[in-house]
Amino acid sequence: MRLLKTLAFAGLAVIAATASFAADLPDLKGRTIVAVTENAYTPLNFVDPKTGQGIGWEYDAFNEIAKRLNAKVDWKLASWDTMIQAVRDGQFDVGMDGITINDERKKQVAFSDPYMVSQQYMLVRDGENRFTDAKSFGANKDLLVGAQAGTTNFYVAIYSVLDGDEKNPRVKLFETFGASVQALKGGDVDTVLMDQTSANGYIGASPGSFKIVGGPLGTEEFGFILKPGSDLVEPINAAIASMKADGTFDKLNQKWFYEYRAGQ
Amino acid sequence: MTPPRKPGREIPYWLLAIVLLGVLFLWLIVSNGDYANIFAAVRQGVFVTLWVTAIAFALATALGLAIAMARTSRHRVLREVSTFYVEIVRGVPMLVLLFYMAFVGAPQLVAAWNFVLARPIEWGVLPAFTVRDFDMSARAIAALMIGYSAFLAEIFRAGIEAVPRGQTEASWSLGMSRLQTFRLVTLPQATRTILPPLGNDFVSMIKDSALVSALGVQDLTQLGKVYSSSTFLFFETYNVVAFLYLVMTISLSLLVRALEARMRKSERS
Repeated sequence: MRLLKTLAFAGLAVIAATASFAADLPDLKGRTIVAVTENAYTPLNFVDPKTGQGIGWEYDAFNEIAKRLNAKVDWKLASWDTMIQAVRDGQFDVGMDGITINDERKKQVAFSDPYMVSQQYMLVRDGENRFTDAKSFGANKDLLVGAQAGTTNFYVAIYSVLDGDEKNPRVKLFETFGASVQALKGGDVDTVLMDQTSANGYIGASPGSFKIVGGPLGTEEFGFILKPGSDLVEPINAAIASMKADGTFDKLNQKWFYEYRAGQ
Repeated sequence: MTPPRKPGREIPYWLLAIVLLGVLFLWLIVSNGDYANIFAAVRQGVFVTLWVTAIAFALATALGLAIAMARTSRHRVLREVSTFYVEIVRGVPMLVLLFYMAFVGAPQLVAAWNFVLARPIEWGVLPAFTVRDFDMSARAIAALMIGYSAFLAEIFRAGIEAVPRGQTEASWSLGMSRLQTFRLVTLPQATRTILPPLGNDFVSMIKDSALVSALGVQDLTQLGKVYSSSTFLFFETYNVVAFLYLVMTISLSLLVRALEARMRKSERS
């Protein structure tokens, strides 16, 4: 009972906070925002195995942003390459997929303010004892890391684990996350970087195969992508600021990175 | 009714159009900064694509020929086994074959090597391999070889079966052995039927080799993927990648055509 009460109060508090913030946020007057993601990045956007629906941190966050701006969201799916190209062409209003903000990309798309700093952990084989953290991994020339081109785990591997050279031969690129984990399992690479939730998911899915070493890595910031010059950038940034200020993002982090159990 | 024209006299406007497109594109690469950068970033991949394709195709040809001989053999067991192989391999998508080879086949091959040769390895005569020594490019080439060997085997078989039965009977009556007959009578005549589709399959393999990018092999497609995902210039990058593939495939197709034309001439004379 006490829990219910607490929850009710928390809910009221959130509503109150929302109301107080919504007052100073832009009003989009019920406009529909076409949002796109890939459903391939647990826990930001992925398919709920129970319902087949797309769920995750980014879904919750953007639905809340739209609510605060008095807009509706029309969710679409696309693969990474096509999603970014289609946002550039204005086919979708906003795209999200844990997309790292960088200057090179800013020439092609508009980014919102960052909504997350990614924290990546080193997933290794269970019996690994040649290194214990990013530093000892970086120092040993024989060790290899698996990643996907252009993703967070690629950038963190290059800039936080290795020497900052994007052409470093110690990074082995694979098409998908699953393929790099398979390569880790088979001994082709020695670590794959991923967030806490995914790592826990892989550890839980095949007991005795993997473990995490070292602490969180990376300073990559994620932003929503929009068409260059989009009129949605400012309202979305205002909503992001309000959600940072009132602790909504912290709640989402708690929910998706610590409480949610992938693969169960 | 237009009067039938003599073949070989038409101006190939399609070819002119392609050449014109190529010139336009080259001008784009020279004049546009983005395109110039992309071209510089993916250029090396052309050589990897050609190298992977050439090796895989040579191996697939050898394996395909062996399978075709088994398919047309007297021994029932050989026929059954080779037919089984062809049907299975032809029915699996190339991408799936690549993943099987990379993540199932390679580790097991390495384990088998270490298991079978445990003794000589202990004595230090032979090296013990880890799965890492089995390069991803080698795995990709092996998968392409297996995938294409089934298709090529069928081409060879058709060529072998197209040689009139009388030819083999004649050479046997001259006292040739089966192998001699195959080498000196059947194969040279079958080659005529085989070469054009073989050339077409080589062109197909150039395109299919794009799939090796899934294993991180630094071919043309992979370099394009890497460049575009860091710069978000997807459309522009794939333009350049497509153009480079077209340069390879069209020039090879023209070579195959020329080869066919020469063979037709030599048949008539």
